[in-house]
Amino acid sequence: MPHQCTGCGHTFADGSKEMLSGCPECGGNKFQFRPEGASLPDDPSETDSGAAQSGPDSQEPSPDAEPPEPDGSSSSVAETVGRATTKVRDFVSSDPAEIDSPDPEASWPSEREEAAGSGASGTADPSPDPSPSSGTDDDIIDADARREAVETDEDDAQASARSDVVSDEELDGADAVEGRDPLAGDAAGGLAGSGGEVVSEPSEADPDIAELREQLNDQFESIKIVEPGQYELNLMELYDREEYIIALQENGRYVIQVPEQWIGDQPGDS
Amino acid sequence: MGLLTELKSSISNATSSLFAGSDPKRIGIYGPPNAGKTTLANRIARDWTGDAVGPESHVPHETRRARRKENVEIKRNGKSVTIDVVDTPGVTTKVDYKEFLEHDIEKDDAVRRSREATEGVAEAMHWLREDVDGVIYVLDSTEDPFTQVNTMLIGIIESQNLPVLIFANKIDLDDSSVQRISNAFPQHETVPLSALEGDNMDEVYDKIAEYFG
Repeated sequence: MPHQCTGCGHTFADGSKEMLSGCPECGGNKFQFRPEGASLPDDPSETDSGAAQSGPDSQEPSPDAEPPEPDGSSSSVAETVGRATTKVRDFVSSDPAEIDSPDPEASWPSEREEAAGSGASGTADPSPDPSPSSGTDDDIIDADARREAVETDEDDAQASARSDVVSDEELDGADAVEGRDPLAGDAAGGLAGSGGEVVSEPSEADPDIAELREQLNDQFESIKIVEPGQYELNLMELYDREEYIIALQENGRYVIQVPEQWIGDQPGDS
Repeated sequence: MGLLTELKSSISNATSSLFAGSDPKRIGIYGPPNAGKTTLANRIARDWTGDAVGPESHVPHETRRARRKENVEIKRNGKSVTIDVVDTPGVTTKVDYKEFLEHDIEKDDAVRRSREATEGVAEAMHWLREDVDGVIYVLDSTEDPFTQVNTMLIGIIESQNLPVLIFANKIDLDDSSVQRISNAFPQHETVPLSALEGDNMDEVYDKIAEYFG
């Protein structure tokens, strides 16, 4: 089940066309892609070792791996936070002793942060709790958060990632993160902060039909004149346009008809 | 402005033709080039009115402007269904005059055909947006139906909530596979036929009456 609706978790077979008209369960139009052989992300509240097994193998570089190239232009802050959540969780559950955590004994952030008290407020705190001096910890975040790793704001994302279960304090913290991270994203090269609910995987293979369609839409305007007699047509654009191309000229220009204008121009003609 | 005037009056004609009681539904015949749309349109028109719609050809993009046959009255089971059949140019994402050169057409003529075909596709796409009440989507059943154009067009038609029938044409040919088409679009009814030979036209008219009546 390579595609999963990020709204309701409904899964689809690879190449499924069902998704083209939105998720049949919830109407959502965001899907994450998971290649064959990899498991879907576990429930974030789950703490068993299954997450630790599947996570590093299939979706994340191992904790020791080099940080990925900072080319993930499509990754949003929310995705980053999502990945960081998974990563930190994996790390905590697989080998809690290695992470510089306020309470490594706690199985999951909710407990940990209740115990630590100041953990949750770290999301809004300019000097968050994870200690940047821990080399191990930095490596994890580098791998997860890619380009933002070098920025101090990443510590917010990291702290936010640790606080997976919502509490009032964390909500405040999340607001602070959302308010700030888009700026950080801009500084890093155009990352746009989007809704915090999106947790999607980077799709590394086989663009599906919806993506193909989007690519096509972005490629060119309604009609591209390659040379006289050779044309490429963007069907979606032709369909979507109000105006209507009625003639192509030899010099590469179009004659278009704009409904509002020609109806108004000739009121007497019927 | 002559062209615009002509267009406008043709549209006025279309709207004024709605005056008589039951409005004929305007059924667009869409599909990729050379699927047999004009052959089908001609068969429907000939069967019920005696006239043809336009010339058929093996050359792709023979139909470069949408052609309409109005008030085609189809009688089924004591019921009468009146439709306007709109034959459209084959929808494609690329038009290249070199295709026409293979059919012994001179370059100048090929370039002109290519330009007209492109205009025709633009026109057909625009019509799909607001000028048709239902769609007959014609596919060549000897060809792979999983193409970008087919998926995109069916998607658009679905998003418009237009009634649509998928016609698996050319079943008279050996390598025809109707199953491949119904597998490709399981959410829609697939009707096998040969517009050229007139095979299975009874079911075709039954379905037209059922879907567009």
